[in-house]
Amino acid sequence: MSHIRKYRSLARTSLEITFVYRAGFVLNMIGTVFYVVAMFYLWQTIFLGNPGSLSGFTWPEMKAYLLVAFLLNSLLTWYDEWIMSQDIREGRVAVDLARPIDFQAARFAGAMGPVPFEFCSALAVGAIVATVFGGIALPADPVHAALFLVTCALATLVKFGIVYCVSMTAFWTTGIEGIVVSRIAIQNIFSGALIPLVFFPDVLRGIAAVLPFQAMISTPALTYLGKLDGPTTLFMIGVQAFWAIGLAIAGRLMWRRAVRAVTINGG
Amino acid sequence: MPLIEARGLTKKFRQAVKEPGLVGSLKHFFTRQYKDKLAVDHIDLSVEAGESVAYLGPNGAGKSTTIKMLTGILVPTSGSLVVDGLVPYERRQQNARKIGVVFGQRTQLWWDIPVVESFNLARDMYEIPPRRYKENLGQFTEMLGLAEFMNIPAGKISLGQRMRADLCMALLHDPKLLYLDEPTIGLDIAVKDRIRKFIRSRVEERGTTVMLTTHDLGDIEDICKRIVIIDNGKIIHDGDLAKLKDTYARDRVIHFQLARPPESIEPICAELPACELATDGLRLSVRFDRFVFAAGEIAAAVMSHVEVVDFRIDEPEVEALIRKVYLGQLSLDSPSQPAPAVVEA
Repeated sequence: MSHIRKYRSLARTSLEITFVYRAGFVLNMIGTVFYVVAMFYLWQTIFLGNPGSLSGFTWPEMKAYLLVAFLLNSLLTWYDEWIMSQDIREGRVAVDLARPIDFQAARFAGAMGPVPFEFCSALAVGAIVATVFGGIALPADPVHAALFLVTCALATLVKFGIVYCVSMTAFWTTGIEGIVVSRIAIQNIFSGALIPLVFFPDVLRGIAAVLPFQAMISTPALTYLGKLDGPTTLFMIGVQAFWAIGLAIAGRLMWRRAVRAVTINGG
Repeated sequence: MPLIEARGLTKKFRQAVKEPGLVGSLKHFFTRQYKDKLAVDHIDLSVEAGESVAYLGPNGAGKSTTIKMLTGILVPTSGSLVVDGLVPYERRQQNARKIGVVFGQRTQLWWDIPVVESFNLARDMYEIPPRRYKENLGQFTEMLGLAEFMNIPAGKISLGQRMRADLCMALLHDPKLLYLDEPTIGLDIAVKDRIRKFIRSRVEERGTTVMLTTHDLGDIEDICKRIVIIDNGKIIHDGDLAKLKDTYARDRVIHFQLARPPESIEPICAELPACELATDGLRLSVRFDRFVFAAGEIAAAVMSHVEVVDFRIDEPEVEALIRKVYLGQLSLDSPSQPAPAVVEA
């Protein structure tokens, strides 16, 4: 149990550091709010041209979808590839390696520390946006609301898995920037953050289905709206769990390889 | 059984070879060329519990690489390594619990949070019992003078303060083994002194085994009894510091300040064969082999001929000695065996 304690302390420290950089956090939040508002107006225009529903989405549902996407995009923003890859490139990993902590678990704790805070802030901002715009679809029913929370938790694990794996590439390449930018671009498309996946042509939807990104936003948002039937919801949650575990294992393997094969810089 | 036992320990790095300029970079993009570099080349090293070892060598000699293998950060290319019954890189976390590490160039402290909170994190990471933690923290705070910056983030304290805090952090869990990688780099004399005194107290009171790399020879004389010199990845000397001095720094010089200029130094020379005498006005210096003459004999001989106002003895300079070794002017071929000849039965 004392093992838990050390990672809890690391998580708490990470949260504390987020508070130190509160200005950055607030600015980041303001930026995403502008983005959400812009998306609202964009979709409003689209719905005005097509009253009723679009590919099965009503306007109140679409607003809820966008807010869920906003909420999930607000999580794990602080502790990302930039910090991790910098640690790797500048050799600070050496310090971590000399400690009795598991590297991946420590990064996980560091990433998760600020999540409750990010979640609450995003929820507050989302509530304000929702009040201002009004007419937002609520969760289909209590069961779906509960399932939604489960899918959010799994979505966060998947996001961590992807971010961790991308960070690991810093061991092999000095130019991780390009990889991170690509990751974000691909993620924005295939997670359904910009457009629900049902609007995609078949080919793209097929690609999205076999990638882990849809587990990050599409699955929780559709669960929230009750767009999936019972078995499909459970199947999609299973898919999320599959990616969460698979990516965690992949990250572990990458780490092991990196430590074996690559020099820790600065020696 | 020694605490650290390395046999044929080797680390080979692959370095990317890139031609200069844009063309070179472009070429490198398509056809990568690499060159192997042997950072550590089949070294044998054994350190007994309680020893304090200075691990020296010019920049790039392989010191840090060795330390990183010992701490489990780097995986050796070949050879065997056991530290307190464990292979460090296989049991990294277990090994980490028993060691303290200070990298002079890199801090262990969290940059953004008060120093004391980094210590609290160490308490949780190393699972230090609360009473032990309180005791150690109290004692170290006093010895290292940490109180004044305990509540300031590590990013805002001076280098000297940071090093003291780092040292405290590395020792809070009472490690058996302490690795110090250039712990006094860039520090002023007062801080260096404090740090050395502190490390010495750990060695003497707790029997902590210390392995220290440094370019500052004051560190060695204050802390270490044994020195190991590595160059180009190979150990070129391993032995007792006193013995090294005896072997390679036998000459001493006594400087006399005289009451009046001597008429002639011939009579003194006659009494002290094989010594070098030099005069300059009121000064007279005698260089002698301390295994041939005792300092007292030299003083007596000089004083029987001239009136001496004052004198001082130059200690053999370890620094000059080690510089000679680095430059290859001194070959240390004889004492290449580890000093403690105790090998397990």
